[in-house]
Amino acid sequence: MSSDFSNDPFARLHQTDTRVAAASSPPMDLEYRGEQGPLFWLALKTAVLTLITLGFYRFWAKTRIRKYFWSATAPGGDPMEYTGNGLEKLLGFLIAVAFLAIYLGLFQVLLSFVGMSVLSGGDGPEARAMQLLLGQATLLAVIPFIFYAQYRARRYILSRTRWRGVRFGVDAAAWGYVWRAIAHSIITILSLGLLLPRQTFWLEKYKIDRTWYGNTKFVQGGKWTSLYPAMKHYFIAAALIVVPGLLVLLQEQYVWLFFTFIGAAWFYYAFAYYRVECFRILGDQKRLGERVGFITAPRAAKVFWTYVLGALLASTCAGLVFSAFSLIASNLMGLSTLDLLAQGDQLFDPDNLSTAFYFGVGLFVIGYIAMLLSYGVFGIIFVSQPVLEHYVVETKILNSEALDDIQQRSRDEMVEAEGFADALDVGAAI
Amino acid sequence: MLQSAPAEGKYFDGKSARQLPVGVFAEQRHGSQVLVIQAVNAAEIIWPLEELREVREQARGEGIVLKLGQDGIARLILLHKDAAEFVRTAAPNLGKVRVQKSKLRQLAVWSGGAVASVALIMFVILPALSNQLATMIPVEREAAIGDAAMSQIHTFLGGSDEKDLTCTNPDGLLALQKMTTRIVGDTEIPYDLQVKVYKHEMINAFAVPGGNVVLFEGLLDAARTPEEVAGVLGHEVGHVVNRDPMRLTLRSAGSVGILGMVFGDFAGGFMALALTERLISAQYAQDAESGADEFAHELLADAGLPAASFAEFFVTLEDKHGDQKGLMSHLASHPDLEGRAAAAVAADVVGDATYEPVLTPAEWRALQKICD
Repeated sequence: MSSDFSNDPFARLHQTDTRVAAASSPPMDLEYRGEQGPLFWLALKTAVLTLITLGFYRFWAKTRIRKYFWSATAPGGDPMEYTGNGLEKLLGFLIAVAFLAIYLGLFQVLLSFVGMSVLSGGDGPEARAMQLLLGQATLLAVIPFIFYAQYRARRYILSRTRWRGVRFGVDAAAWGYVWRAIAHSIITILSLGLLLPRQTFWLEKYKIDRTWYGNTKFVQGGKWTSLYPAMKHYFIAAALIVVPGLLVLLQEQYVWLFFTFIGAAWFYYAFAYYRVECFRILGDQKRLGERVGFITAPRAAKVFWTYVLGALLASTCAGLVFSAFSLIASNLMGLSTLDLLAQGDQLFDPDNLSTAFYFGVGLFVIGYIAMLLSYGVFGIIFVSQPVLEHYVVETKILNSEALDDIQQRSRDEMVEAEGFADALDVGAAI
Repeated sequence: MLQSAPAEGKYFDGKSARQLPVGVFAEQRHGSQVLVIQAVNAAEIIWPLEELREVREQARGEGIVLKLGQDGIARLILLHKDAAEFVRTAAPNLGKVRVQKSKLRQLAVWSGGAVASVALIMFVILPALSNQLATMIPVEREAAIGDAAMSQIHTFLGGSDEKDLTCTNPDGLLALQKMTTRIVGDTEIPYDLQVKVYKHEMINAFAVPGGNVVLFEGLLDAARTPEEVAGVLGHEVGHVVNRDPMRLTLRSAGSVGILGMVFGDFAGGFMALALTERLISAQYAQDAESGADEFAHELLADAGLPAASFAEFFVTLEDKHGDQKGLMSHLASHPDLEGRAAAAVAADVVGDATYEPVLTPAEWRALQKICD
């Protein structure tokens, strides 16, 4: 706890009272309290349970990880709380499956029927292009559901989020979000991406203006053109590709292609930069009620490198896990195979393969699954947690004394939970 | 702590976002242990110890977060270790979870709904729809898809193209032609049926969409009579006429999407998906095989040939290579050989009567040497 907390439990009370009386207080810091060790064990435990239950435990796994992340986030030293539970998440998923199974099944059969009737089935470039187009058509048909699912998932998660005992909430307005998101996406594509800030701003405003903390509404201020500085690196990446590309065409100097490759890699950074800068610019323009504001200062480079190095570290660790398994497996298999080599071409007769050989094969399979599983677990501690921590500690709350006037809101039951997002696999990252 | 002196805590009443610093002490009230939560200038709040529940999965473990009853909205945070330890020993029901009956009922109802919905689409709608749609694909499209499949098969058989694989001994071709004409008889086939022999030791035969039927040399070597081969040929023609590859492809395209949704993307989820899809499609493939067998029985009967010889071929195969029984037979795409042989015997209409052999001994020798 904060250091000004003396041993007398009532000492703080008098201080707080004087603060409330004052016009404004210093900004409230957000603490992050997560640690790698406990989170690692939690993630490992839940991942193993998910595996041995053939995936059924994934609803509880995600819930428990969220509870940890939420409680690690403590604005002003008071932890957030995630009150969702695995059972209601499973229920929501079942509801979504009941509705989506028939739609998706019919849709995919009809689509492959169209594919078979229209396509020549050959290997030619036109056939390939048509196949690609049809693949995109599948995506188009689920896009409205994806937007719907994302809005609903956000509503569910926030309705299960509390801070200082007071619930967050989101208005039920998913379809309004769906058509706006589709329209904005079309405009963005038609403008070759130049109107992306417009899309980002208005969709964020739609969501934020329908978000509540207790009985108090959030408001997204600002204007969409203020997001253009966040596009900076997109422009640089595009220039790096287009200009050398033109030079290649005009001068036939292929060394310029080198810059084109750099430009392609630059897009990854541009993507991270855009997202982080938008978070920062839009964060500073958010308000809660009349007075509470925010200062956000996440750094794109920090987030980008956390992603890159964290993913690298996670895949190295997962690779080591796989190596350990395959070393033992190949030893088992190698020894038993050598025994068989003496018998020449009978090697591949299944009768001659020893149990050790099959044990080795089994170990390979287990090692492969362990690799996938541990990549997820290491990803949580090396990527998800550091990124979340960065966003949290770089955020401050202004005029936090006004929070004391906020009253509770009633519970948003939401039986369907975030089932559609789970079924379509488009849920939030954590 | 708690009994001797009040412990520091924070209390959130669940009505407003105001943080109340409180002192908390444990006491005996009306015969039961309670926590007394005291904020300055406020009435004391009483929480019986046995109704306390802990909010779990907390990031930093030193203190403890408490609520009153499972669905309590107010929160009491005790900040220090010794207070947390006291509560953990003294409160009996910290971890007790009661699942509402209504939740379980909902869960049962929607589990039923989800299973029914998935079963309906996977086992009723998809197969029926695939069967219907397969007949609506234009014949020339089917042939084009078949050609693509053929070129993949050629690659699989060793990279050589069709010319290298196809056997072309003229006498053998004549015998093959005669056998095909006899077995197809008057049956109407909406395809340009092309029967070939590939030089390959596999004891197998296959049909691709659009009318290509291929027998392997190994199969001709393994067969003891031309009637056995005629039975296999009838079986493959059955696949072509029933449009089995198209039906199975359409059905599987639908069910892969649904299974992907059910399993989600946990580690190993893809394997669970692949195995389940294999089990289901093996079931449909076995039905397709039985259908092709029945078609072959009819062709043999119409041609006045004994289906019993078709049965003998399965017995020969089983003697040579054994059979997959038990668990494996569910995973295999072909029904068990014994059952197929029994079905062929049952469908035989010739019996012990004499019949005109499908090939003369000389023609049969020529067919067996078609690849030389």
